[in-house]
Amino acid sequence: MVKVEICVGSHCSLVGALNILDTLEELQEEYPEQIEINRVECLDMCGDIKNAPVVKVDDDLITSAQTQMVISKVMERIK
Amino acid sequence: MSKLKGIYTDIVKIRRMVFAELARLALKDAECEEFDKIPYRIIDTEEATYRSSIFKERAIVAARVRMGLGMDYETNQEHKLLSEGIRDFLKNDNQLKEPLVNVIRFACEKCPTNAHFVTNNCRKCLAHPCSIVCPVDAITIEEHAAVIDQEKCINCGKCKEACPYEAIVNYERPCAAACGVDAIESDDYNRAQINQDKCVSCGQCIIACPFGAIADKSMIYQLLKSIKKGEDVRAIIAPSFVGQFGPLVSAEKIVTALKELGMKEVREVSLGADFASLHEAELFAEDIPEKQPYLGTSCCPSWTYVADKHVPEVKDNISESSSPMIFAAKSVKEDNQNSKVVFIGPCVSKKLEALSDKVKDEVDFVITFEELAAIFVAADIELTKVDAEEEIRDASYYGRAYANAGGVAEAIRQNLKVKYEIDPPITKADGLADCRKTLMKAKAGVLAGHLIEGMACEGGCVGGPGTLLATKRGAKYVDKFADESPYKFAFENENLNKNEPKE
Repeated sequence: MVKVEICVGSHCSLVGALNILDTLEELQEEYPEQIEINRVECLDMCGDIKNAPVVKVDDDLITSAQTQMVISKVMERIK
Repeated sequence: MSKLKGIYTDIVKIRRMVFAELARLALKDAECEEFDKIPYRIIDTEEATYRSSIFKERAIVAARVRMGLGMDYETNQEHKLLSEGIRDFLKNDNQLKEPLVNVIRFACEKCPTNAHFVTNNCRKCLAHPCSIVCPVDAITIEEHAAVIDQEKCINCGKCKEACPYEAIVNYERPCAAACGVDAIESDDYNRAQINQDKCVSCGQCIIACPFGAIADKSMIYQLLKSIKKGEDVRAIIAPSFVGQFGPLVSAEKIVTALKELGMKEVREVSLGADFASLHEAELFAEDIPEKQPYLGTSCCPSWTYVADKHVPEVKDNISESSSPMIFAAKSVKEDNQNSKVVFIGPCVSKKLEALSDKVKDEVDFVITFEELAAIFVAADIELTKVDAEEEIRDASYYGRAYANAGGVAEAIRQNLKVKYEIDPPITKADGLADCRKTLMKAKAGVLAGHLIEGMACEGGCVGGPGTLLATKRGAKYVDKFADESPYKFAFENENLNKNEPKE
């Protein structure tokens, strides 16, 4: 089971977190037993908006996250 | 719908960063010189990332800054610092003026216009049906593949259909393909040019351009300055707002955050939708079909502009009823005479509606959800962490459902059924091209007795260019929030009596 924490605070949502979440949820539909998604409040890491969006895949913290980056990390762990 | 709608790209990022910078400078009462730094703050690399040069990237950001402030597009023919132009603009009337939607000409990559191309899927087959079916003999079989003579081609598409290898594609300029009223033409340099006589300011081309070369103007700066000056600013927020700011941000949290930003009050535009659906039902019951052949709804401004600019013969059959925005704004202003009203919505063309003679005294500012999200970031308001106040209960189920395609007609129909025992046939136009087609049908007389709903954006207001969510996702939030209303029908809404604005 891969645990994904995705920040959906003001900063992260503005710069693409909602779109990453969309894609993650689509992926979860394909692998319902293997992915857990937690949408979390601001993780206080985005003082500089350049660090947003912030996503955690298990213990791996990703700043300035982009969809393809997050998805490939998740897929690595599923396989 | 443009393929880019709902996808987060670097274009979206830059656009939002510009909004956030404008909001930041407005909030800190920055000097004009500070605006000169925005292109460098946003494009802070040493080499170009997106285009041929970093100087061009920054110049495009500067053009976005100008329009973000509400200024006109300017060709780069005269030496002028960004801040100089801004100082002149802010010193004078600082009002946004038409045209609302503009091509940033030097950002346009001059995509070829509608054409058929042979791709390298072509196997140069023996049958070559493409050249056989071509009615104008435009296809020759050359050394490696079939070739289309663009001078001769009439874009009939027969070759594309005949090819067994899917080797022929039809290619359209994305901006022009997204425009349902054919308002995008070419200038002398082959760059996209908006024919303002045809444009209805729906904003779909802004989303569709893969090079980010089209932008609309905004009022972010003027709104924030008004709040900073201590003016009594009150917000009316369009029904598609729920969910737009993330899954943990409830409607109540959005309202509280707006108050933290300095708004004295927030009302749902759906309250205005309840007024409007009752008024439109009354007009329908009185006039259709005796005095008027059919009734077109009035809430989508781009839809009404399609009638004005493209099918003027049907103009008088579009309802005269005020839009939900106007009703909601009037109800606020009647209760608070010296207040200023900001409409917050998914819509680009509402910015234009607010400039019209009928509306300019009612609505003072219009901003989009996307612009508001940037303002929250600039003001450092963390939406997930605000404490939500009391429940919102301004509007009925059907008023809240206005944001989804079909919702407007359904709300009016329910009123007609219960109050007047009329169940009219309904026609829904979904998307700009469909709006024009539907109005042509109405003109031809085939929609007699119909209630016609027009939505310029596919899916309704939730598909608007100023949204942050993918259209389907936004639609689900709208349905859920509508279900939570304490009232089902507009006529059950207890807020209507106490707030009834004069027509």
